[in-house]
Amino acid sequence: MRKVFTGSLLILVSGFILFILSCTQGSCFEETKSSIKATFYNDITHKPAAPDTLSLHGLNNDSLIYDRSLKVQPAIFQLKASDLSSSFVITINGISDTLTAYYSNYPHFISKECGYTFYQHLDTIMPYTHFHIIKSIEYTNKTISNLNGENIKIFY
Amino acid sequence: MGRTLRYSISILFLFIGSSFLAYAQDTIPITLKIKIGIEASGPMIYYADKKILNTEGYISVDLNEKRSATIAAGFLRYKFSQYNYQYLNNGSYIKAGMDFNFLKPDKAQGKYFIGVGLRYGLSRFSSETPSFEITNYWGTTTSSLPVRNYWGHFLELAPGVRAEVLKNFTLGWSINIRKLIYTSTGNDLKPVYFPGYGDGSKSITAGLSYYIVWNIPYRKIKAIIRKDVPEEKDDTKDTGTGTQNTNSNSQQGSTIRQ
Repeated sequence: MRKVFTGSLLILVSGFILFILSCTQGSCFEETKSSIKATFYNDITHKPAAPDTLSLHGLNNDSLIYDRSLKVQPAIFQLKASDLSSSFVITINGISDTLTAYYSNYPHFISKECGYTFYQHLDTIMPYTHFHIIKSIEYTNKTISNLNGENIKIFY
Repeated sequence: MGRTLRYSISILFLFIGSSFLAYAQDTIPITLKIKIGIEASGPMIYYADKKILNTEGYISVDLNEKRSATIAAGFLRYKFSQYNYQYLNNGSYIKAGMDFNFLKPDKAQGKYFIGVGLRYGLSRFSSETPSFEITNYWGTTTSSLPVRNYWGHFLELAPGVRAEVLKNFTLGWSINIRKLIYTSTGNDLKPVYFPGYGDGSKSITAGLSYYIVWNIPYRKIKAIIRKDVPEEKDDTKDTGTGTQNTNSNSQQGSTIRQ
């Protein structure tokens, strides 16, 4: 029995060293940004159809999310966490339109390593339809999160 | 029908009888104890890292030579900060359950434990995020979450070893594997860390505990040890010389042949 205890003492000491080492902080490997995942569909056939070219940027934000990008499917873009609406200028096959999303924000804890993000509950997303390039929008999942999965279908 | 019943009863009595024939019973005296222990690693970690203070104590009462009823209580003060958030948690917890000693009474002698503990844990804590920030396409947004009180429920499996190193003074350790059952925080604001459990974003956590225990003997019992009756060699099956000399000795749980 003494031998068992001596052995266990060794495990105890080595276990404590492992325990201290395990306390070192890890790194964040998860996606931390919540994004709308929008899939493009042909309005006539109702089948998925990536646009030949896609440009996208926020209204009053010069930074381009997509710049005449080819065959983007799905388009992924983020909403303003400090506001209840975000507008985007979208150009599909050279024809521009404006999309405005209305939503509510709520905090979400991802992990100890990654911290927090904001999720959004999508209320509506509406095209301004200057040139009627976007015919309609269908909602698949109104929770905008850092997870994969389609949120809206854009028919054009 | 009556005959079938008589046969069944006869077979049952034969089975029970054979069980008594196969084993003889012996007893050894075992002292049952009330154990009062503290978890030692918490204060040691606090000495190295002032952001985590976890203290735990427990009382365990031996019910018999194999089982003890245990209740533990602890307190946690936790601070965490990194580049994108700060987090605070204060609270306490209780855990109640049983310890099961796998050692046979003659090996354990009321002093040694190799076994497992099963516990249900209940935690009450306050959680606060003084600041956090997120950065995306639109820039950086800073926010905070106020102090709120929550509950946490979990199960704990704790295999471990303990040994009496001095009279009525035990040291030991256990690996604690915990399964989260429920937190009242909801899915979006899982606690970064909460008392008794650890990382609240994980459904299973593990840890190590080191115990210093004071034992108070309170009762003596006689624990039954099952001894094998020496096996009788069937001489009629012997072949060869026919004069084979067989001595059978019996010790607890095993038979030694020479």
